[in-house]
Amino acid sequence: MSSELSISGFSADVESHIARFLFERAQPLLLEFDKSWQLVNLQGDTARFGFDLDDARTAAGQLQDLFLGMPLDETIDLPFVQMPNGRSAHVHLLVIDRGYQVLLLDAQGEHDRQQSQQQSGNEAVLIGHQKTKAINQLRQIRSELESQRARLQEANALKNALIATLSHDFRTPLTSIFGYLHLLEEEPDNSAGTRHALRALRRNSNYLFTLAENLLEYARADTRSSLLAPVRLDLSALVADLLGLFKPMAAEKALTFSIALDKADSEEPLLDELRLRQVLVNLISNAVRYTQKGGVGVQLLWKDGALKIEVRDTGIGIAEEFREKVFIAFNRVGQAAGSGAGLGLSIVKRLVRQMHGTLELHSKVGEGSCFRIVLPGLAKLVPEADADAVEAAPSRIERMHTVLIVDDGPDITHLLEVLLSGMGYRVRIVGDATSAVESALADPPDVLLVDVELPGLSGNTAVFRLRAKGYRGHIVTLSATPTEEARKVALNAGANQYITKPIDIEQLARTMQRAVASS
Amino acid sequence: MTPQARKICMLGDFGVGKTSLVARFVRNTFSDAYLTTVGVKVDSKEVALANGQAQKLVVWDIAGRSALDALNMSYLRGASGLLLVADGTRESTLRTAIDLLMQSRSLLPDAQAVLLVNKLDLVERWEVAPSTLVELRHTLPVLETSARAGDGVEQAFAELAGRLQA
Repeated sequence: MSSELSISGFSADVESHIARFLFERAQPLLLEFDKSWQLVNLQGDTARFGFDLDDARTAAGQLQDLFLGMPLDETIDLPFVQMPNGRSAHVHLLVIDRGYQVLLLDAQGEHDRQQSQQQSGNEAVLIGHQKTKAINQLRQIRSELESQRARLQEANALKNALIATLSHDFRTPLTSIFGYLHLLEEEPDNSAGTRHALRALRRNSNYLFTLAENLLEYARADTRSSLLAPVRLDLSALVADLLGLFKPMAAEKALTFSIALDKADSEEPLLDELRLRQVLVNLISNAVRYTQKGGVGVQLLWKDGALKIEVRDTGIGIAEEFREKVFIAFNRVGQAAGSGAGLGLSIVKRLVRQMHGTLELHSKVGEGSCFRIVLPGLAKLVPEADADAVEAAPSRIERMHTVLIVDDGPDITHLLEVLLSGMGYRVRIVGDATSAVESALADPPDVLLVDVELPGLSGNTAVFRLRAKGYRGHIVTLSATPTEEARKVALNAGANQYITKPIDIEQLARTMQRAVASS
Repeated sequence: MTPQARKICMLGDFGVGKTSLVARFVRNTFSDAYLTTVGVKVDSKEVALANGQAQKLVVWDIAGRSALDALNMSYLRGASGLLLVADGTRESTLRTAIDLLMQSRSLLPDAQAVLLVNKLDLVERWEVAPSTLVELRHTLPVLETSARAGDGVEQAFAELAGRLQA
């Protein structure tokens, strides 16, 4: 072993070993060119790097291209250059007196290792970018959906506001119609023709009112806010009304039509008459509409504190696959082409639910349908005091009680004046909240009957001001808004009772009776 | 007669399609598989200039980087022109291309440069706004390309070749 040291500091033997090792790994190819890039000599395996020695000129050109534009007066190192056969090599240009030497060292192994590392790193970045982009897109979609939802909620709120306005605008004139109808019907010397005309007016007003209520009921966004209005119901009168309404329609189609009433319980049912009427009108009008032969039969059974209703027809029937759909608004079943908005059964379902009842549908295509509804009496739902009021039998008024009516509508005030005067009350009328406060404080009436919707300050404000000034008289608030919220607002303002338009004459009488009793 | 040869370098972030553009230009091929370039691949192709003369372009396809290091600088030596490549679907690569141009100026103050915004076939996923390209065109030639479809590729190389001749 030689002990001679070289410039590396290692022994010649070690240097020799390293050189052999690196030489084997690098598989060097040395090509020597003259000054004009003519190949003059070579050492090593040309095929390893894809050079064709039979075409030395091309090979020389390929290598010469690597140094294009570079000053050829010094060593040039170009790492990881792809050779003609795709292998990677470190390329070194060595300047010699007679020309250039190009040394190629195999770098494929190192190239592959670097490529593998960079590939996974780059792919991770690219995937990360796509992921970020997708997340951003999802965020944008969510944001758009949220703003769309906000717009829809706004539109819905506007719709509800519109419906509320319509509801009010609709109920107020109906109050006049029903009220004056009542007055006209009370005339003792009406001729038979007049009575007939008045019955037709009342029947059709009722029908119009029910149909319009369907639309309003459908449009009410928050069904929970709907206020149940229980009254002692005269089922016989209801049956008579329904017969009057539908018998002519059935007769026109040569259908039989009957309504059977069985009152097993002696007590009159306490139910929401308007909603019950809506349910029956919708079911019966559907039955008549979709029945071409045979007939329609209705059964009402008041038993065990519940009203059981059955509406049966011999119409076209409803196929199994449509039985759920018929209760969805605007989804009239395919075979049941006909007029109407397709709202009826959806309204029926909603109203039955509001009245805490159950609804069943049995049907056979071509044979007919049968709707069965059970509505529990509402006695349990009525507060004690209200129940007393509902049940209180009207009694004769012993002294002249005064009522201060606060309403700006001349038709309504006149109607109320006539009705209340007829009941024995002395009536005063003012048209706005400020006058109401002044008048009530100056000469307190037995009952203050105040409309919520007044010009300027609202009726609720008037009530609140009166209570704030220590007014202790009985106050009944009258409103065209039949919602729980509106009722709460009125009672919170200080009203003792809240009744809604259109005014039910009997209900008004009971309310006034209760009011004077407590005043 | 041997045509005059000029060295041009492809510069841009990784994954923008530099290798694919060269493959389309030199061999008229395309592969969807992404294989990162390590070091450099050198190809050449003759192009016909507007004046009827031919020019040989020696194209250096340099590994994608977001910044120029010493290695990249060594590859740039002797280049007459730069093809800066960005990916239209990744706006950040446009900034990288501009950064690389700035950095290369210290070594190649007179090199001609053309900007290629690649992946035109994915234009519906582009992040680069048309207005940005309008602005960029005030400072350097910009061509939209698709290595996949071949759109704009020949034109881009010809544009640079023409500028090298001028």
